[in-house]
Amino acid sequence: MGKLGMAVLLLAVRFPDLSGLESAVADQIAEMQRLLDHQGAGAAAYGDLGQVYLAYGFNDAATDCFREAAAMDARDWRWPYLLGAAQQAAGRLDEAVTAFGQALGLAPDSTAGYVHLGEIRLLQGRLDEAEAALRKALVPATAAASHSLLGQVALARRDFRAAAEHLEAALAAVPEASRLHVPLAMAYRGLGDRARAEEQLGKAGAVGLRAPDPLLDGVAALRVGERVAMMRGRVAAQAGRYQDAIQEFRRALAARPESVEARVNLGSVLALTGDRTGAMDSLREALRLDPANATAHFNLGSLLADGGSPEEARPHLEAAVAARPEDAEARRLLAKILRDAGRLPAALEHYRRAVELAPGDEAARLGEAETLVRLGRYAEARTRLDEALGQMPGSGLLSHAQARLLAACPDPSVRDGERALKLALSVWQARPAAPHAETVALALAELGRCDEAAIWQRTARERAQIEAPARLGDLDRALARYEKGAPCRP
Amino acid sequence: MRACIPDKDLKDCKDCKDTEVFLSLQSLLSFGSLLSRVLASAFLLCVLLATHPPAHAAPPDLFVDRAADWGLAFTYASGRTGELYFPEIMGGGAALFDYDNDGDLDVFVVQGHSLKPGATVGPEGRGRLFRNDLITPQGRNAVPRFVDVTEASGIRATGYGMGVATGDYDNDGRTDLYVANFGSNQLWHNEGDGKFTDATAKTGTDDPRWSAGAAFADLDRDGWLDLFVLNYVDFSVQNNVRCYAPSSRRDYCGPQAFPPVTSRLLRNRGNGTFEDVSLKSGIGRKAGPGLGVVAADLDGNGWPDLFVANDGSPSFLWLNQKDFTFKEDGLLAGVAVNAAGKPEAGMGIALGDCDGDGDDDLLITHLTGETNTLYLSQGGGLFEDATARSGLGAPSLPYTGFGTAWLDFDNDGWLDLAAFNGAVNLNGAQWAKGDLFPYAQPDQLFRNQGGGHFVAVGPEAGVAFRTPRVSRGAAFGDVDNDGDTDILVVDTDSPVRLLVNESGSRNSWLGLRLVGKPVGARVEVRRKGSLSLWRRAATDGSYASASDPRVLVGLGASSEVMEVRVLWPDGIVEIFPPPPLRAYTTLVRGTGKAPETRP
Repeated sequence: MGKLGMAVLLLAVRFPDLSGLESAVADQIAEMQRLLDHQGAGAAAYGDLGQVYLAYGFNDAATDCFREAAAMDARDWRWPYLLGAAQQAAGRLDEAVTAFGQALGLAPDSTAGYVHLGEIRLLQGRLDEAEAALRKALVPATAAASHSLLGQVALARRDFRAAAEHLEAALAAVPEASRLHVPLAMAYRGLGDRARAEEQLGKAGAVGLRAPDPLLDGVAALRVGERVAMMRGRVAAQAGRYQDAIQEFRRALAARPESVEARVNLGSVLALTGDRTGAMDSLREALRLDPANATAHFNLGSLLADGGSPEEARPHLEAAVAARPEDAEARRLLAKILRDAGRLPAALEHYRRAVELAPGDEAARLGEAETLVRLGRYAEARTRLDEALGQMPGSGLLSHAQARLLAACPDPSVRDGERALKLALSVWQARPAAPHAETVALALAELGRCDEAAIWQRTARERAQIEAPARLGDLDRALARYEKGAPCRP
Repeated sequence: MRACIPDKDLKDCKDCKDTEVFLSLQSLLSFGSLLSRVLASAFLLCVLLATHPPAHAAPPDLFVDRAADWGLAFTYASGRTGELYFPEIMGGGAALFDYDNDGDLDVFVVQGHSLKPGATVGPEGRGRLFRNDLITPQGRNAVPRFVDVTEASGIRATGYGMGVATGDYDNDGRTDLYVANFGSNQLWHNEGDGKFTDATAKTGTDDPRWSAGAAFADLDRDGWLDLFVLNYVDFSVQNNVRCYAPSSRRDYCGPQAFPPVTSRLLRNRGNGTFEDVSLKSGIGRKAGPGLGVVAADLDGNGWPDLFVANDGSPSFLWLNQKDFTFKEDGLLAGVAVNAAGKPEAGMGIALGDCDGDGDDDLLITHLTGETNTLYLSQGGGLFEDATARSGLGAPSLPYTGFGTAWLDFDNDGWLDLAAFNGAVNLNGAQWAKGDLFPYAQPDQLFRNQGGGHFVAVGPEAGVAFRTPRVSRGAAFGDVDNDGDTDILVVDTDSPVRLLVNESGSRNSWLGLRLVGKPVGARVEVRRKGSLSLWRRAATDGSYASASDPRVLVGLGASSEVMEVRVLWPDGIVEIFPPPPLRAYTTLVRGTGKAPETRP
């Protein structure tokens, strides 16, 4: 019976080549193929095998299985439904429509099928048929997805009013579906409401929306192995579903405990949830398994530096830089630690390289200039800041740093009060804040305009009472100097 | 904190920010069943033909590959190492350009080679230049004959070639060549005597990162071509990672596995050197995995903008602020993502007036499981995703498109579309058959039925379209000067194809060679009793390639031309009398008539 059963099966289904698959996956598929033989090749057996194939993207083999299952049991809606899904995944849209149509004939309540039909018809540009299918899916379980697609149908017709209504309805039901803000913005743009369009674009994100589909969700759940869990974890993490991501990365570890990448990712996501201890444990374990892992070194180094343990962080960041000399971010973090430890020449070297690698990295530019100042190389700091501002004239961070240097540099020959004032005012206008008012005051003091400096210093003081009360003492001392009148240069 | 950047990544996580996990399965399609069906139906057809002879012979192929016949012997070598280095799956491109100013299109093709550490690059690992010696036998059509002149030309394109751009950067009347590599790029200056010299260092135009292509355009309208260098991701052989298909089989990585990088903008100083204005201009402040670029005035303010197709990330529309700074506004313009708000894997770009309304529309080729997406211009820099109603979406779903262009292949006055395909995800069915490089897909030709509504051209497109290959770059141009558009296609690890158009010159056409800073010019052909036809004089777009800068206009049934208007890139408009039909005419800037100004 076994051999005969397999012979029948071989005629019906094109077995995929399992070579090169992760062993857990290959074992799972092989086991399902063997089970089919034992089950006597009934509709359910074909259907089960088809679902496993579909789960791993073997769409042709899945199609064969579901077609067989449907032929054996024409009353079970699941087989044409899954056949439709396999055909849709393979891009065979007309065949998918036929199959979903058969499934819905058997189970009209499976409204997710209408969503699939609507989606396919929209892709085909058959907008009336798309709308007809999607309207049948306007029931609670699938209404949000249906509205989102009806919105796209309306956009394709340039019926912007209807598009806005549908997309608003979808977003009201599922506010986290941030991707929908884009088509909604296009609808408002089409209606001539640019302000609302821009407001919507400001909310746009990467989270999509799809109808709950128990049958296909079950297919996805069939996937096993480290790699699948890794993929799911990464998708969840990037969608901001950190707890789901943690669960998936732990599953990956259960499948392959020696998986370094699972531990690195688990550590990263744990850190994002605030579990620093768990994150560091996971990253340390990753480094135990792979002492040269650059990402683990970088992440652990970042966590330690951020957590007030720079000396512990330093060797990890040094390892990250050694492994990836072109990693500007790692160099910048290492440079900061070295600078804060007083190792200024070494810090400067890393800042320099970080700037070379990432000329647009404002933090690296600023760090380089600050290190030069601490080394007493004021003119050089000014030159480097000028170069940076030449490339990034709109940078508030760099403008402010340069204004400070020009207003209050210990080497008076480096100062330039007029330019300092111009820069400081532009920073203040862009972002009124205590330190920025203080810099304007410094620039005015450098120019000998002590009364005006005092006025600005009072402004800085007022803001600091809310923003930075700890700085009030310093501000008051400078204010007293300004109030005494000229000379009031810092 | 570098969160969730695994040392080893998953290829199928193409849409990693998506919650629709299941849909990612679409990225791995299997074509075994399609192929077997084709074979089965072919067999059935043979049986039927044997018993019932056809009443009519099958129509001849619209395009025929004549590369080998005409001496274009070249194979782009990915240098596959087995390590699945990312660049191995992405190259390369070609240029159609008249380097010797003899009136016909010559060919430059970039070349790859092994990226294995320590591997040496021999002559076979270099880009090649082929001169077109167009032969015109008495009373017969001209026939190109290509001669490999690489050695004599002095071109030593030794980098791992990805793409190429063409343009006369020093206004000496000769077209120069910029070769974009994985690694340092090269600018080859055309000396005019058949020789090129490496002007990279002298001009300051290198970029050591992974460049996928480049575009020359006069962005400040000062009469000198500036250079946009399109960069992709921060991959290196040392930071290679392992990626996997949904089946869990190892596969090439996608762009999400590596950080995107910024592109570079180089301003032509007019003295043979360029200034790097990447940061100052804003371009260098936004990283993206760029694979396609066009320079054109997309918001209608008379200044060329830049559109960059990013791979798996929102595309960029850099709007020219007229002071050599650019503002990125792709989202509001409607071209950053598709109608569903989803970024797609942008590869090639076609820019042209496909719906005949006088402004240029964008078509971007994408990954399997995504449509090729059409953005119709609504004027004023606003676009709408019109893929659903265009007929271009659904047929492109199973394919990963690279090289593409609007071309009026039948010269009926409507721009058609060609898309050259090749997967980047392993095809399980091809793998099972023992294919060493299981990424082949057929190419596609779409006929514009008028107004921007398209249908896929069937088998009559030609066996060259039907045969699956791993297609990448494609350059478009009239190689045999017979008045229709031919296509040079670069396939990975297969001989280049020269798809010669066997159909287009049956309809009337006119050809225009613009002289006097033509890059980015637009041409309006005014016809009696019919809508005007608008065409671009451009070499950019497609994928990693540079196309014929001449303007070829199919006239269809309305061949009575009243006048030709040229809108030069600096805003000057000139009117030229109707040029002769079925011939190329040179229009020299300054020799046309200014349009009448009315109070």
